[in-house]
Amino acid sequence: MTSVIRAFGSEVLKFRRWSVLAGTGAMVLVSTFIAYLTFHQIASGATGKEMTGLIEAFRTPQGLVAVIGQARSVIIAIALIMVAANLASEWTLGTLRNLLVLQPHRLRWLAGKMLALVLFVLLSMLLTLVVSGAFILILAPGQGIRTEAWTSADGLGIFVEFLGNEALCLVGISALGMLVAVLTRSVVTAVGVGLAYILVLEGIIAVVAPEVSQWFPGRVFNTIVGATVPMVGPTPLQGYPAALGAALLWIVGLVVVSAIVFPRQDVKA
Amino acid sequence: MNAIETHGLIKHFGKRTAVDGLTMSVPEGSITGFIGPNGAGKTTTLRLLLGLVRPDAGSATVLGHSLTEFERYLPRVGALVEAPAVYPGLSGRTNLEVLARLGGHPRSRVGEVLETVELSDRARDRAGTYSLGMKQRLGVAMALLPDPELLILDEPANGLDPLGIIGMRGMLRLLRGQGKTILLSSHLLGELEHVADWLVMLHEGKSVYCGTARELLSQRVELVIEPEDDLQRELVTRITNAAGHAVTTEEGALRIACPAGFDKALDRQARETGVTNLTIRVEQPSLEQLFLALVKGQRP
Ligand SMILES: Nc1ncnc2c1ncn2[C@@H]1O[C@H](COP(=O)(O)OP(=O)(O)OP(=O)(O)O)[C@@H](O)[C@H]1O
Ligand SMILES: [Mg+2]
Repeated sequence: MTSVIRAFGSEVLKFRRWSVLAGTGAMVLVSTFIAYLTFHQIASGATGKEMTGLIEAFRTPQGLVAVIGQARSVIIAIALIMVAANLASEWTLGTLRNLLVLQPHRLRWLAGKMLALVLFVLLSMLLTLVVSGAFILILAPGQGIRTEAWTSADGLGIFVEFLGNEALCLVGISALGMLVAVLTRSVVTAVGVGLAYILVLEGIIAVVAPEVSQWFPGRVFNTIVGATVPMVGPTPLQGYPAALGAALLWIVGLVVVSAIVFPRQDVKA
Repeated sequence: MNAIETHGLIKHFGKRTAVDGLTMSVPEGSITGFIGPNGAGKTTTLRLLLGLVRPDAGSATVLGHSLTEFERYLPRVGALVEAPAVYPGLSGRTNLEVLARLGGHPRSRVGEVLETVELSDRARDRAGTYSLGMKQRLGVAMALLPDPELLILDEPANGLDPLGIIGMRGMLRLLRGQGKTILLSSHLLGELEHVADWLVMLHEGKSVYCGTARELLSQRVELVIEPEDDLQRELVTRITNAAGHAVTTEEGALRIACPAGFDKALDRQARETGVTNLTIRVEQPSLEQLFLALVKGQRP
């Protein structure tokens, strides 16, 4: 246990890099910008067909989450890049050989590092939602939009539920990023494979065979959030409890496979 | 006692055999020079000893523990493998702190090793801005961090200026004085002649010499022959090759690194074929010449 805590502490020191902080920065900026665009469109009376649901939800307690949640796929993509690139960079930089001589119990190192990384991703997400939420709340009165429903007990309850599911979604995405990094062992390949899988491959399968793809990891991590607030993403076809169970199983599976593969690999980096 | 012993260690990378039945030893408290041409398998051997890659066959013990229990001995080992790997975005000091925290070493140790490698005044700069030699110093500092009993250094002098090399020599002797064992892979043979008391020479994944440096240097001589014509040149080459030694030509003179006494055999055999006027000069060879002879002698 002490060695996992040491690995965690050692990882935290490495957050002081621009390459790491840039992920958080991008997440906050892009999400806030997308939330602002959405808000602006609705507030200025846009009436697109694809907007009707959003416009209806806008004045309900779900309104704020529906607006700031529009950038969810960006948050997922950035989180995946953050985890996969960060872990894979230990191979690309060659620093893994330094680390594993000091902590030869590879799984303890991986556990400490991943705990720190997941925590960092979750804090980045929280910061993103708080910043974009606050931004919209500040803008709203100036546009004559009433925010009481959003900040009501109902509204806050929805926000917390959304936050919980979003956190679970990102834990799943991090587990996926970990496995991709362990398998590819290179920053460029890890990011490429990770994004191609989640954006392209699962996307294609979702179109051709939705009843199969609804069980895929990227899909269930995504749909459990859509279950709370349907405006922010696809909803689970199989229902929330089944999707939640599948998400948890996928997380366990991704962790177990990484834990089997990593200690057996040759470190040639 | 040996700090390291390997028996028939084998490692393949795909079809290529990087380490091919390596049997060698490193005595405790020695500075052992680990030499061999590019691609001989030095770095791969070090990776095997550090538990970074798994052997396909063979066994080894390090600090009294089997290679398979590398978790047991690695806390007492410090290593620099290949070019130093650093986080370019972190300062030299933070790079060391990352490792100190992971290994549970006190923070004060970071300042100490920075002093040892004379990097203190640049410790706050980003490691990405360091020169080649400064990165190398940082890599050596990383290896020293755990105050190891066994220090494994892979070409540590790479990129160091003359002062740095002399400093490194002093540091290695100091560490040996403290009873530590140092395994030092290097291509700077002249430098190794200064510091190494044990030598392991690798060629194509096998050990071609494993013993004291003094023995290698004293039991071996270099013969210098200036042949008078091509007939003599061919004769000497033929006799020498038949005896399993290599001939190198330098400015018209033939040079042969061989065990002491081969000059007599050569002269006798030459006389038997009627050549009586061969002049053979016996010289004390440098490690570099022995290296060439051993490595070339291995090739048919
Ligand atoms: N990751 C790898 N994949 C494939 N082959 C490898 C790998 N690492 C090493 N090799 C091969 O193994 C052999 C030994 O390489 P190694 O790096 O151990 O040599 P070395 O003695 O350290 O050489 P140098 O003096 O150039 O550092 C070489 O033929 C090399 O091509
Ligand atoms: Mg090498």
